[in-house]
Amino acid sequence: MSRGSSLARYSLWQFRDFVVERAIAILIIGFLWGYVLIEPLRRSMGPAWSGPQGTTVFGIALQVSSAIVSLSVLIALNGIVSTDRKLGYYRFLFSKPVNHVFYYAQLFFVYMVGVVASMFVLSSLLQTVLPTFSIPHFLLYTVLVYVAMGGIGFFLSVATRYDWVTLAAVWLGARMLRSLYGPRNDWRSKVVEVLPPVHKLDEVANSLIGTGTAHATDVLWLFGYGALFFVLGLVALRWRSLAD
Amino acid sequence: MDGVPATDDDYYRAAALVIEFKNVGKIYKSLLGNSVKAVEEFSLTVVEGEILGIAGPNGAGKTTLIAMMLGYLRPTTGTVEINRLPARQHIERNGIGYLSELIAINPKWRAETALVRYATLAGISHSDIPQRVGYVIDLLGLAEHRDKKVKALSKGNLQRLGLAQALLRDDQILVLDEPTHGLDPVWTQRFRDVVEELRRPDRTILIASHNLDELQRLADRVAIIDRGRLQRVVSTGYENTAPVAGTRYRVTLASGHELIRAVFPQAEDAGRSEYDVTVHSIKELNAALADLIGMGALVASVVPERSVLEQQFREAVGESQ
Repeated sequence: MSRGSSLARYSLWQFRDFVVERAIAILIIGFLWGYVLIEPLRRSMGPAWSGPQGTTVFGIALQVSSAIVSLSVLIALNGIVSTDRKLGYYRFLFSKPVNHVFYYAQLFFVYMVGVVASMFVLSSLLQTVLPTFSIPHFLLYTVLVYVAMGGIGFFLSVATRYDWVTLAAVWLGARMLRSLYGPRNDWRSKVVEVLPPVHKLDEVANSLIGTGTAHATDVLWLFGYGALFFVLGLVALRWRSLAD
Repeated sequence: MDGVPATDDDYYRAAALVIEFKNVGKIYKSLLGNSVKAVEEFSLTVVEGEILGIAGPNGAGKTTLIAMMLGYLRPTTGTVEINRLPARQHIERNGIGYLSELIAINPKWRAETALVRYATLAGISHSDIPQRVGYVIDLLGLAEHRDKKVKALSKGNLQRLGLAQALLRDDQILVLDEPTHGLDPVWTQRFRDVVEELRRPDRTILIASHNLDELQRLADRVAIIDRGRLQRVVSTGYENTAPVAGTRYRVTLASGHELIRAVFPQAEDAGRSEYDVTVHSIKELNAALADLIGMGALVASVVPERSVLEQQFREAVGESQ
C-alpha cells in the first residue's frame, strides 16, 4: 500500500476529529449567534420581514453570517499544527511512514471541507427564514475566508504555540492599523499595505454573498495572501524541527 | 546473531550497517541566548540484527539522541543516517517501530481506535487492520481495555498501548525509550520475552533505559552516555564478562559453611548462609568454587554484586563527572 493512499484513508479520521472537536462547537456558536441576532428582528418586523425593508434585514444577516465564517475559521485552525507539537502527539504519528508536511496539508483541506459543510448547515437554516440568502454564494465566501485567514493561521500554528491568540491579534491588529494609518500618505501607510488585507473582506462579503460577484483584484489579493502564508507554513514545517 | 566472529570488532565491521550517528551534536539555545549542550560529538554505528542498549543517567542526552534519530530534532552538527539515508527520509519512506518515553496519545481516543488509526497511517491494508490490531492487543494483554478511553488507562496499560502501536508493523527497526517505565514486574518480564521474540537477524532494536539489569539481559552492546557524550560501548555477552580487578560476588551455601574461609580467606559473612567474596578473575572464581565443592560444600548460588555493565557504567559515569 502506498504512503499516499494510507494518508488519504487517514483523512476520514481527520474529518471525524473535525466533527467531534470543532464542528459541533462551530454549529452551536453559529446557530446561537444567528438566532439571538436575527430571530428577535424577524418577530418584531412581522410581515415587513419579507417586504421592502428586507434589504436591511439582508444586510444584517450578511454581517452576522460573515462574522460567523471568520469565527469558524478561527475555531477550525486553532492548534492545527501546534497542538500535536505541544502535547507530543507527533511522536507516534510520524514514526509511521508518513510525510508530516503532506499530513498537515491534508488536514488543512479536510478542515476546509468541514468548515464549508458546517456553513452549509447554518446557511440552510438561515435560508428557511430568509429565502433570498444564497447558499452557494455564501459557501464561496467561506472558501475565500478559509484560505485568506486560514493560510495565515496555518503559518502561525507552525511558527508559534499560541496560534489562536496570535491569529486573532494579527487579524484585529491589521484591521486597526489599516484604519489608523491606511488613509495617510506617509511611510506608515506603505507599511500597513503589507498587512493581511482584512479591510477588503467587508466589501467582498457584501458583493460575494449578496450578488455572487466581487472585484477580481480583491479576491486575488485575499486568496493570494492566504495561499502564500499557507505555502510558507508548509516550508517552515519542512525545515523546522517537530520537537522544538 | 548468526555466526561466530573472531572478535566483536570483526563482527561489527562485517555486519550490515543500519543506523549511523556521525559526529552528532545538539545545542539548545534559549531566547535569552543561553545555550545548553545536550549531545556532543556522538558517533556510533548500529548493525543489522543487533539489540543496542543506550544507558545514561538522567539528562545524559538519551532522549535527545533518539529524537534526532527519528528526525524530530535537527542535529546542530553531524548527521544521523538510517540505511544510508537521512534519518527522517528513511522513516517517511519505511516507518519505524517507536515507543517514546512519554506516551502522548490523544486522551479522548479509545485504545482500540487509537491502534486502528496508527495502523491506517502505518499503511496496513484496510482488510488486515483488524487482524493486526487484534494481534498486538492480545500480545500486550489489552483485550479488557480496548474500549476504554486513553485517559482512563493506568500508567502501565498506557505504556502497553504505546508498545502495541510500536509493534503494529513488522518494522525492520524498533526504538524503545524507557520501555518498562511504569510496568509491573509481571509485565516487565513479559516485555523482555516480547523483545526476545522480536529479535531477528534482519531487525535492529534500540533500547534506551535506566535499567541496567534489563539492558544486560536484552542488549548485545550498551552505549553508555553521560553529559551528552558517548563514554564507552560495552558488550554484554558472556565472553566479555571477565570481571575487572576486585569484583565482589555473593556466594550462597546450602551446606559446608565452615569451609568457606579455607577457600576465600577474606569472605565476609552476610548472614543467611551468604558470603561476600572478592576475586580478580573468572578463573580465580571458578578454581576457588571447584575447591569449595571438592571439599564437600554445596553451593546454592553465585551472584556478582554488580553486573559487568553496572561496573562499567559506574566507571564511565564516574570518569565523566
